[in-house]
Amino acid sequence: MSSSPAQQLPPGWAAEWHESRASAIPIHWSVLSRLAANSNSEAPNHAETASGHTQWEPPSQLPESQPPSTAQPTAQSHHGKRRQYAAGQTQAYYGAAEVAADPGYGVAPGLQPQPAGGQLFTPGLASENQFQAQQAQVPGQPSYYSQQPPDQPLAYGADPAATAGGYGSQPGQQPQYIQPGVDALAGQFGQMGLAGGQKQFQLYTSNLLTSPPEPKELHRPPPEIRLPPNSSISPSPLANADPSYQRCTINAIPTTSSLLNKAKIPLALILTPYRSLKDGDEPVPVVTDTVIARCRRCRTYINPYVQFIDGGNRWRCCMCNMSNEVPQLFDWDTARNQPGDRWSRAELNHSVVEFVAPTEYMVRPPQPAVYVFLIDVSHAAVQSGMVATATRTILENLDRIPDEDQRTKVAIICYDTSLYFFSVPPGSDSSMLVVSDIDDVFLPKPTDLLVNLAESRPTLEALLGRINDMFQENNIIGSAMGPALQAGFKLMSPIGGKIVVLSASLPSVGAGALKNREDPKILGTAKESGLLQAASPFYKTFAIDCSRAQVSVDMFLFSQSYQDVASLACLPHYTSGQTYYYPAFNAARPEDALKFAREFGDVLAMPVMLEAVMRVRASRGLRMSSFHGNFFVRSTDLLAMPAVPQDQSYAIEIQIEEALTTPFVVFQTAVLHTTCYGERRIRVVTLALPTTTNLSEVFASADQIAITTLLANKAVERSLTHKLEDARDFVYQRLVDILMAYKTSMTSGGAGASAQLAISDNMKMLPVLVLGLLKNVGIRQSAQIPPDIRAYAQALLTSLPSQLLIPYIYPTFYSLHNMPAEAGTVGEHGIILPPALPLTSERFERHGLFLIEDGQTIFLWVGRDAVPQLITDVFDLPGYDVLRGGKITLPTLENEFSQRINAIVQKIREMRRGVYYPHLYVVKEDGEPPLRLWALSALIQDRADVLPSYQQFISSLKEKVNTT
Amino acid sequence: MGGAGWLFLFAVLMAAGLLFCMVFFIIMFSDLECDYINPIDLCNKLNQFVLPENLAHAFLAVLFLTSGQWTAFLLNLPLVLWNADKIRKKSHMYDATEIFRTLGGHKKETFFKLGFYLLSFFYYLYRCAPSPFSTLVASSTWMIVALIAESE
Repeated sequence: MSSSPAQQLPPGWAAEWHESRASAIPIHWSVLSRLAANSNSEAPNHAETASGHTQWEPPSQLPESQPPSTAQPTAQSHHGKRRQYAAGQTQAYYGAAEVAADPGYGVAPGLQPQPAGGQLFTPGLASENQFQAQQAQVPGQPSYYSQQPPDQPLAYGADPAATAGGYGSQPGQQPQYIQPGVDALAGQFGQMGLAGGQKQFQLYTSNLLTSPPEPKELHRPPPEIRLPPNSSISPSPLANADPSYQRCTINAIPTTSSLLNKAKIPLALILTPYRSLKDGDEPVPVVTDTVIARCRRCRTYINPYVQFIDGGNRWRCCMCNMSNEVPQLFDWDTARNQPGDRWSRAELNHSVVEFVAPTEYMVRPPQPAVYVFLIDVSHAAVQSGMVATATRTILENLDRIPDEDQRTKVAIICYDTSLYFFSVPPGSDSSMLVVSDIDDVFLPKPTDLLVNLAESRPTLEALLGRINDMFQENNIIGSAMGPALQAGFKLMSPIGGKIVVLSASLPSVGAGALKNREDPKILGTAKESGLLQAASPFYKTFAIDCSRAQVSVDMFLFSQSYQDVASLACLPHYTSGQTYYYPAFNAARPEDALKFAREFGDVLAMPVMLEAVMRVRASRGLRMSSFHGNFFVRSTDLLAMPAVPQDQSYAIEIQIEEALTTPFVVFQTAVLHTTCYGERRIRVVTLALPTTTNLSEVFASADQIAITTLLANKAVERSLTHKLEDARDFVYQRLVDILMAYKTSMTSGGAGASAQLAISDNMKMLPVLVLGLLKNVGIRQSAQIPPDIRAYAQALLTSLPSQLLIPYIYPTFYSLHNMPAEAGTVGEHGIILPPALPLTSERFERHGLFLIEDGQTIFLWVGRDAVPQLITDVFDLPGYDVLRGGKITLPTLENEFSQRINAIVQKIREMRRGVYYPHLYVVKEDGEPPLRLWALSALIQDRADVLPSYQQFISSLKEKVNTT
Repeated sequence: MGGAGWLFLFAVLMAAGLLFCMVFFIIMFSDLECDYINPIDLCNKLNQFVLPENLAHAFLAVLFLTSGQWTAFLLNLPLVLWNADKIRKKSHMYDATEIFRTLGGHKKETFFKLGFYLLSFFYYLYRCAPSPFSTLVASSTWMIVALIAESE
């Protein structure tokens, strides 16, 4: 799962494994995947790639008993290993007795029914001698696992040290070791490749009453996926999807729905198929030869979990068991025009691949990327400086708009209560065309409104530079956003693309006009959820029209007053766009202008997937039952997404329809899309998970992060269909259900009252995450939250990927004045952050400087007794009294402390995926109350108003669990 | 056959029409589930029928009221009120963006209405004065029932 397998080497490896070889593997890996990624056209797969394949074998396949000196891996032995891999397959065919002697290759009976006496099919395994040498070698391999030294290193995923020592559960209760794995061999080395070692799943119980939440727990990887051996035909550690692409709430799927119901854990997939690549991420390999092997029956794409049968001429689908023919060109290297090595094909080694799609996958030739900017130029918009900032940002980012093949088209329409079109003919001056008839929108000119970016570049630049001046004196109040949308839609509907709306006022005239329905009296009452629904049907029907025409809408909202974000956010919601909200935007504040320009620039530069449809397939017996996220559900399992932005997350609930009989199941997400460079592609993400009949394994494999992400989506949905109150109750009840299920089935207490509140160790952050969710602005119980803020928070809750969502629910809290010496300096993995503190104001010190951040906002909390030196060092001010609270740009000063704090803020702004650039607020301990309260509301473990503290929350949970 | 007889004869025909309408809805829903139709077309098609169906039913109820058929009116009253409430809350139309989430509820509702119209159909038939005409209607009824059974 991790991109650096070396980290996963259990400590035991280093001693018995040759150092140089062990370290060589990850290097080789990155080189290899880069090769594979670049191989689309110019760089063919070299022979090195093929031989590199030999090194993918898990180290456990090296005879361990060999003394290190002789185990020196030479080129010769590489070669041998390669054969060995193939031989493993071959032996399976022969069904020879030796097979049993080799635990590494041991084909699980019933798992891979291979025809006996099949022929060798692996290209390269030509020589009979070599094969026999292999055969001879295999029995020589000692049965490694039985020879574990008594002081065996602890398995990577189990991490019992942290549980046993750290959180002081009751000694009698833990570590509560439920079952030592299904089979000593079965769990040996799942698909983790190098994870090696002995993998017996262990369930540790934590007592929530005595173990306070520990923020660093949130950074632990999800419970390990323990696939049965040989379920993947590739030993690559990338054969299973990284959790940032696709993760499941339970990493061991219960075989029956009754078992799932017993555990009460919701079963769902959390996916971010179009995840951005940060530095150090593996690029997604691309299969360029348009040989796309798919199952005839269920249309699954070939992946590392299929089996080759019939001498490699056919493959058996991992989902429906259908036997399919291997395409003829599968073993042919089209780049070099000679036989290729099928085992080096990316789709058999990577869980995330992209296929270049042939014409059968196209309804029409790949469309160019189209951007239509709708800019509000009413009085409020111009005065706030939005128009100036937006046009300047577009101007500065024209180079970053994806336009590799010079086909990208751009149009600009301004609107107040009329529409202002701009004709931008290439090579001559632009002209403005005013349309005041907003009841029946028409395009004033058939051409030159939507122009090629590259051709009209100079004219466009001149126009963007002028727009703000043109409307500088505009005194018109009101907004014809609906008609502007219709105009933009008319302009681009033959092609599709992206409409970017920048609006600073409530739409007031024409189609889609909205009324100010904000009413402080109904906030906090049952009627409040009405304010979170679309007020006008226009925004839904128009969204449907957009989805049909492959048009996606992004909303940038800036209003000082009520803008009905709830209604406007509908458009991005159903057209796979995104809403961005800058309440009370004022470009006169450099922080506001900077934040908007950064985020808007990144959105413009983002390479979007156009004309996309997404479908998730799963093994027989599993069904995708409901879908959450920004898209339009076009049929029972097909999600239409006109333009997929990067780092948007979706949640899909799964139903177990019939009992699962296979040892593992596969979930495959396929996104058919057009890149913004005019290429039709299919991105395929494959995730394989083991099945289990064991309730304790279900609990031990629950992924608290994924569960929280799902609950956030469900809660928002419920708050719209029911009431906010119902949404909170629902989330709370789900948590209680899980705790009760755990208590009755996993602890000795059974159904009776118990002095502790038990949960498995891997879910012990779930209660605090649920508490954070209940206290999130999106669904918090309060009569003070403006509906706009609430609607925006809900839009974030349903679209943020887990990496951003978890801090948004459970913010991070650092103490800066006494941080360790290395914090804020550059370490091995970039800037070192201080240790995170639990989110409670008990940690505040009156002389301290603290930082709280939730991925959207950063608060610098300054204690009232902060020494003048600290204020001088950080803010360049003489003392606490002159410091003012509010948005701030932190000065970089000539002292180490200031530089370290700047580095930390910088790191926080950049470390996560997504375009968000958090504001930095200075909060004084005795400063203005609204800001203080806002910052304090991030400390979710405290009691605030009617919202319980963590302790109260836990005891109410305990009461609930014990009484029912 | 008196005035009441004609009224109920008319009601029988109306009920048959409503019955067919519901069968059509159910067929469309199952088409959606089998992916023969996309949700946008489905909603456009069905939404044309929602208000006429509600109005026809309300009209029938009003007829019963004005002609003093209290039992028949009271039988129909709950459904009239329920429809009116949905229209008041503006939730009577099918919403293409939410249709897959709400499909189960819609199907349940449609099946319930189907059953209701079927029962009321027989009730109206029974209330028609026994006449040679009603035997004709009765025989055609069984044909309709057979048709419905077949279509499901």
